[in-house]
Amino acid sequence: MKQIWSVIRREYVERVKTRAFILSTLGMPLLMIGIMAIVGFVAVLSEQSERQIVLVDQSGQLGERVRQALEQAGYEVELAAAGVDMENLDQQVLDEELEAYIVLDDTTASEAVFAYRGKEPPGSVRSQLMRAAVVEEIVDLRLGQMEDGDSVRRLFEGGALEYEPVGLDEEEAEEAEAERITGMITGIAGGLILYIMMLAYGAQTLQSVLEEKQSRVVELVISSLRPWQLMLGKIVGVGAVGLTQVAIWIACVALLAGLALPSLIAAASDFEELAQFRQYLPGPGAILLLVVFFLLGYFLYSSLFAAVGAMCRNLQEAGQTQAPLIILIIVPFMLQMMTFQGNSMPWMNWVALFPFFSPIMMYPRAVMGDVPTWMVAASIVLMALTVWGAAWVAGRIYKVGILSQGNRPSPRELIRWIREA
Amino acid sequence: MTQNGTVVRLSGVRKTFGAHTAVDDFDLEIEPGTIYGLLGPNGSGKTTTIRMMMGILLPDGGAVELFGGAPDFARRSRVGYLPEERGVYEKMKVLDQLVFFGEIRGVARGLARSRAEKWLERLGLSEWASKKVQALSKGMQQKVQFISTVLHDPELLILDEPFSGLDPINQDVLEEIVLEESARGKTILFSTHLMEQAERLCERVCLISRARKVLDDDLKELKRRERSGAVAVEFDGEAPPVATWPGVSEVEEAGDALHLTLGDGARPEEILAKVVTAGVSLRRFELLEPRLHEIFVRHAGEPAEDDAPLKTGGAS
Repeated sequence: MKQIWSVIRREYVERVKTRAFILSTLGMPLLMIGIMAIVGFVAVLSEQSERQIVLVDQSGQLGERVRQALEQAGYEVELAAAGVDMENLDQQVLDEELEAYIVLDDTTASEAVFAYRGKEPPGSVRSQLMRAAVVEEIVDLRLGQMEDGDSVRRLFEGGALEYEPVGLDEEEAEEAEAERITGMITGIAGGLILYIMMLAYGAQTLQSVLEEKQSRVVELVISSLRPWQLMLGKIVGVGAVGLTQVAIWIACVALLAGLALPSLIAAASDFEELAQFRQYLPGPGAILLLVVFFLLGYFLYSSLFAAVGAMCRNLQEAGQTQAPLIILIIVPFMLQMMTFQGNSMPWMNWVALFPFFSPIMMYPRAVMGDVPTWMVAASIVLMALTVWGAAWVAGRIYKVGILSQGNRPSPRELIRWIREA
Repeated sequence: MTQNGTVVRLSGVRKTFGAHTAVDDFDLEIEPGTIYGLLGPNGSGKTTTIRMMMGILLPDGGAVELFGGAPDFARRSRVGYLPEERGVYEKMKVLDQLVFFGEIRGVARGLARSRAEKWLERLGLSEWASKKVQALSKGMQQKVQFISTVLHDPELLILDEPFSGLDPINQDVLEEIVLEESARGKTILFSTHLMEQAERLCERVCLISRARKVLDDDLKELKRRERSGAVAVEFDGEAPPVATWPGVSEVEEAGDALHLTLGDGARPEEILAKVVTAGVSLRRFELLEPRLHEIFVRHAGEPAEDDAPLKTGGAS
């Protein structure tokens, strides 16, 4: 047992120290924080770019409304009288005392076309904002003049589909909706994590096995350890690295939710809506289930990846040989992407029972409440049995494979290995 | 340390790879405390034999025993095995790697570390302890691997070509260590194609040629038996007419000395008596022992053309 610990520790320590691990672990949260920072920075920048705008109203009816709309959009607006000297304004623009000014005339009132006079064209954000403000005011004004204006306005707003849950009162319905969103987020994130872990860390197990075989270190190690001990130590060590990575990511999210977010909201009330995301964080049950599915899925695939590594002589061979495993991981992921929206294909639940597909397909279904509990339990039992069988087969292939320097075995030879090991 | 019973026993062992027979009908017994040399040209089956002893290869026929039983996990862990192809974790630091190998062989972490440090110092590698193995030269890597072989203080050392790739100074250091370990009661089996090394170190040798055992004997005994009866004499001043002496069938000049091949029935003592009565001043009189290389060639013939040549000295 002590020896297995040594193998686990070696595998873990040597991997966690690599640049690749540090980069991929820190890179992900940094990337997310970076994106959020850029979004925030841009928002702040646009606030700072609040500029003075002169509004010349020649229509005589739009001026005050547009001024208010623009001020709401963050501009400081100076409303000029209709008879203002436009040459004087032009001169101010040329002297760079004024960046630009807007002219509303009768065409504006009828067609929402207006002039923006400046030395340079407005930026895309600015032109969008201004156009939206002006158009909205004009539409509003014109609708107000119409008899059934309110009705038309609602049509413009795009109508609404109102879901009315049968058999639930309003409060219960809200709770159910929040739960659904939580399940959705947890399911998508969990499925993605499982997918990445099985693919990336399964492949690392393969690599680790192959490296030892190629360098023949394995012949030395195996004189002190039983093959299954070495294989188990490797799988656990590599898996622990994967768990460390996920744990760091989850900690980052928790840190963000617990610390960064409140201070962000305190700093700028615009971010208040973000606070809602905290209520959608998964509960301990969902996380525990994720760990169960991770352990089963990871053990299932990494033991098979280890067997592939033991069969092959080099990475090229391994690349071809591992293809069926990769397909077994990618197919459920694609199926899952297709069925994330609602539960339109109930027979997919049965597909999700297939042990090789279960981690990626059953976990999201379980947290979204799409499948009955007995199905989740059945899939866990099925997976556990499959893990047991796969480990048995893989262990035997591994035992023969790591010491064999010959050609990759044919299927028939492989069966002989399994039988005779 | 006292050991009872045969340490390694091979009986009628055979191993084939496809159509090629690597080892055929091979018997071997190694008694405790011996330094045993497994000699033969490259490709003669030494490594295959050793790999079967370590349970890495399974024989196609015959039986392999370690410490009186199958070479299972428990028995293998009493062996320190240095494979011919050097296997190291290239990206691990030297000391970490040694501690790891010590640990999986049941040495406590702290003890493994202190032993490793001692060995590194002994082999002049202390300053490399925290370097990655891949930064070391091949020779240094080999020394690191040798340390990992002896770190758990095994009863039996099986060393496959331990000297190849080492410079003469390090070869000497390693020879010294082998003799020391032997003095501590360890059994040592090593393979080599360097006959001089074997001649200096081994108590017993086994010669393999083309998958078969050719000779297996105590080295001193072997040399005595194979002695051709030739003597070397060296004189101060004028040499007597040795060629005319009875019993001398052939005279060959070898530097300052003369090598006399004796005819049938002639005994070295008779020649010595002749020298004394000849009244010349004698500087050296020596029974010429056959070189291992000669013995090998006598029994196995010159290595076939497709075999690598048998070397009598120096590093390969």
